[in-house]
Amino acid sequence: MATIELQKVEKRFGDFQAVKPMDLTIHDGEFVVLLGPSGCGKTTTLRMISGLEAVTSGTILLDGRNVTWLHPSERDIAFVFQLYALYPHISVRDNIAFPLRAQGESKETIEKRVKEVVDLLQIGHLLDARPGKLSGGDQQRVALARALVRRPAAFLMDEPLGALDADFRESMRAEIKQLHIDQHATTVYVTHDQVEAMAMGDRIVVMSDAEIQQIGTPSEVYYKPANVFVARFIGSPGMNLARGHYSEGRVRLKGQNNVYAVPDDWQQALGKALGGSGDVLVGFRPEAARISADGPIAGEVYATELQGAYVMLYININEDEIIHIRAERIHQHQIGDTVRFDIDPRMVRFFDPASERAITREAAQ
Amino acid sequence: MATFYETGPGYPVTESIRVDRVSPTARRIHAVRAFVVLVFAIITLIPVFVMGITAFKSRADVVSVPPKIIFKPTLEGFVFLFTERAVVSKVRLPEFQKKAEAGELSLFERIALNTGQEITGPSDYVDRLKNSLIIAGISTILSVGLGLFAAYAFSRFPIGGKDDLLFFILSTRMLPPVVVTIPLFLMYRQLGLHDSHLGMILLYTVFNLSLSVWLLKGFIDEIPIEYEEAALVDGYTRFQAFYKIVLPQAVTGIAATTVFCLIFAWNEYAFALMLTSDDARTAPPSIATMLGRGGIEWSAIAAGSLGFLIPVVIVTFALRNYLLRGVTFGAIRR
Amino acid sequence: MSVQANAPRLSSQERARRRYLTDRAIVNLFIWPTLILLIAINLFPLFYSLYLGFTDYSAIARQVPVWVGFKNFSDILNDQQMWKYFATTGKYALASVGLQTLLGFALAMLVREKFRGSGLLTTLILIPMMISPVVVGLFWKLMYNPTFGFFNYLLGFTNPSTGPDMLASRFAGKVVPNLALWAVVLVDVWMWSPFVMLLVLSGLKAIPDYLYEAAAIDRASSWFQFWRITLPQVAPLLLIAVLFRTIEAFKAFDLVMGMTGGGPGDQTELIAVNLYRQAFLGQWRTGRASALAYIVLIIIIAVSNLYIRYLNKMRGES
Repeated sequence: MATIELQKVEKRFGDFQAVKPMDLTIHDGEFVVLLGPSGCGKTTTLRMISGLEAVTSGTILLDGRNVTWLHPSERDIAFVFQLYALYPHISVRDNIAFPLRAQGESKETIEKRVKEVVDLLQIGHLLDARPGKLSGGDQQRVALARALVRRPAAFLMDEPLGALDADFRESMRAEIKQLHIDQHATTVYVTHDQVEAMAMGDRIVVMSDAEIQQIGTPSEVYYKPANVFVARFIGSPGMNLARGHYSEGRVRLKGQNNVYAVPDDWQQALGKALGGSGDVLVGFRPEAARISADGPIAGEVYATELQGAYVMLYININEDEIIHIRAERIHQHQIGDTVRFDIDPRMVRFFDPASERAITREAAQ
Repeated sequence: MATFYETGPGYPVTESIRVDRVSPTARRIHAVRAFVVLVFAIITLIPVFVMGITAFKSRADVVSVPPKIIFKPTLEGFVFLFTERAVVSKVRLPEFQKKAEAGELSLFERIALNTGQEITGPSDYVDRLKNSLIIAGISTILSVGLGLFAAYAFSRFPIGGKDDLLFFILSTRMLPPVVVTIPLFLMYRQLGLHDSHLGMILLYTVFNLSLSVWLLKGFIDEIPIEYEEAALVDGYTRFQAFYKIVLPQAVTGIAATTVFCLIFAWNEYAFALMLTSDDARTAPPSIATMLGRGGIEWSAIAAGSLGFLIPVVIVTFALRNYLLRGVTFGAIRR
Repeated sequence: MSVQANAPRLSSQERARRRYLTDRAIVNLFIWPTLILLIAINLFPLFYSLYLGFTDYSAIARQVPVWVGFKNFSDILNDQQMWKYFATTGKYALASVGLQTLLGFALAMLVREKFRGSGLLTTLILIPMMISPVVVGLFWKLMYNPTFGFFNYLLGFTNPSTGPDMLASRFAGKVVPNLALWAVVLVDVWMWSPFVMLLVLSGLKAIPDYLYEAAAIDRASSWFQFWRITLPQVAPLLLIAVLFRTIEAFKAFDLVMGMTGGGPGDQTELIAVNLYRQAFLGQWRTGRASALAYIVLIIIIAVSNLYIRYLNKMRGES
């Protein structure tokens, strides 16, 4: 197993900056998810680690060994493609054996190793079929088997579930995660689906605009987003960001007469970070809002969405500022009603609208 | 010495490329590959080049040993190709000489003086070329027109035995021309179509129909059917939908098909050789027969061939994206 | 929208009826002209020539066809001379199709990856197959001329008496059998290798990149990749190219007529050339020529079927 280290790795396509110089360390046995919207550079990053894409500058280390300019086959990594990339004209068995044959392994070794992975993934009944005849999920299992059979130092997966149906995706998600727990192999996993990223990653690397926005555990990126982008991108819907003006322990929200009293432990940090202007974004997740008749913030119900166990309310707290809050199903809220709510003081976050960065209490101390 | 694996290519890579493809070895192989293709292209074009220069050579230059690459160009070949000539009588030679000394010699008179031949009128070739233009032109219009209708019907409607019909249409192109020529010859003689423009136009129309149906069907298949359905829902008739929706979108396909049909009809030799003798004879068989008449006029043949070559070169460039479809009857698409 | 504004207003029933009728009428209207022409100029002659194949008939004699049964067919199949022409055609087909396939494949592999000017060079290479074959035949005749042709000159034979005379099957005055046939093969290869290249290239371009990426990750050598990925993937298209060219080899007529007319002697007398000679030259043996034409047709159909069966088998597997 292996540690992957990216030092100032950069990729340009002509004048277009696909990946800005980036530092990233992936520890041995870790499951790291590269998450971001399409075109953010996450796939390019993965392909640079594999060698399928040459870096423009920077260094890639695998277990301390400089592999920046090594052929993909010499890096001891396996790659799982979004469209499986199975060889269409040979059987599943030959597909799985392909990397071993290419290395010139003996017949017995090939047979033994193929059997191992086939048992592990429970795809014994597929061995004689051609890949084209299989369902997407089975094709991806075969692709995983082909990656596993090599016993590589690291797995690189490029949206392996992206082409699957929604229900398949969930079961495969669990399978891959289970596989990782069993094998404990260093894995870099690319996806644009934040639910997938939250469910699978030991750590998530959120990327946007060709650079890393935040690196953290799923709960860190969810509860402590480093900036406005991460706050909005993670969660569905994303974090509410209400514009307001801070002074003397209170945030006066734009528009209506909503005044939010900032929790004591935040006041020092806000005062220090915001300095003169006092413009601030108050961030809170929909589940952090608590509806109560004497809540300090009021808004008009704009739309409601029943989502199984709870109702998602779209609240207009200002002319064009709509926030989402989660409400118990038993409360009946009609469109046009006024709703008052408070924010759980443990779950409120603040952002500086100028720099779009999160304001932290630690920085103030 | 540091290897590629330690240092990289030594410049920032700003294209999408695999690591091993930027290694010096890969670069070298790439360069060799380009060089080999270049050499092959040059070898391929030598005969075309020879044809081009021969068309502008004088009689003496054509047969010089060793063959000349640098020579004084003349238009003799073209003059020979397009004109009928007679030997200049001895009486008139001094007249030309006098003019030559005075520097008043026209282009034709100079050729007459140099070769001892005088132009008496246009050659047969002019008529042949005219025939080629008429026959290829009209048959192309017909085959593209009919082909377009048939292709639309095949593309859009369920037709019983469609695949068999389409295969039948394609298979007509696979027959050796001689198989159909013998009965056609007899049939045409009976109907008075032998050596007639109409006969050749009909023949070439059919000859090209298989190509145009298959090609156009491929192009029409690519136009989403939803547009027509929308038009039908809006109250258009099928026919209106066909010419208002399908035709404008199939324009490039129609253009490519037209040019392919034109090229095939223009180049055709076997049918023309067997089914025409004079009135409707086209240019290809007549270039070939030029060999036979009183010594080989190589520059005239070259000039005639060059005339055939230039449109083809232009067309090859214009159609390079459709070439595959054209030469495989649209059976294979990129 | 203008489309809606211009549309005639019809009741839905009326519209449905009208559309149904026009659909049918249009299919007939659109297809029949083409079918009638094909039947008149292709199908009818085909059957007529089958009939003529069983008769003794000459188109220039004032005499009706006389039914002779299988005589023409048995005469042809018992004629040693005809077997020779078939053999020549077979040799020609094998050599030219074989060389075209090799060269075309190699070229496609070379130009598959873009380099500066590759588009232009590829298009230039395609020019020969667009030229009229008879014109090609003629100018290669000039190329091959032993005294002033460029072929010998570029190969370094500056003295005609020591160099080859390709179309006369002579080398330095001595007879070299089949040299003329090879000369024709060479021209056919020059003309049609680009065709194979074009087909193989389209096959190569259809192979998804990720297969090669997977192979690179899987540590397959280039050799391994060629045999295990490239070749199986382009094989169907390659086979189609070979099929097209084999059929054409049996139809080969224009090129040979322009270049050798079947000579010297009968060294390049391909079956299609001989067919023309029997049908339209000398005695105009129309009946016999029709029978021969049918034999050629049957051979072509048989060969095509073999290829197609193999192709289907290959497709069935993948």
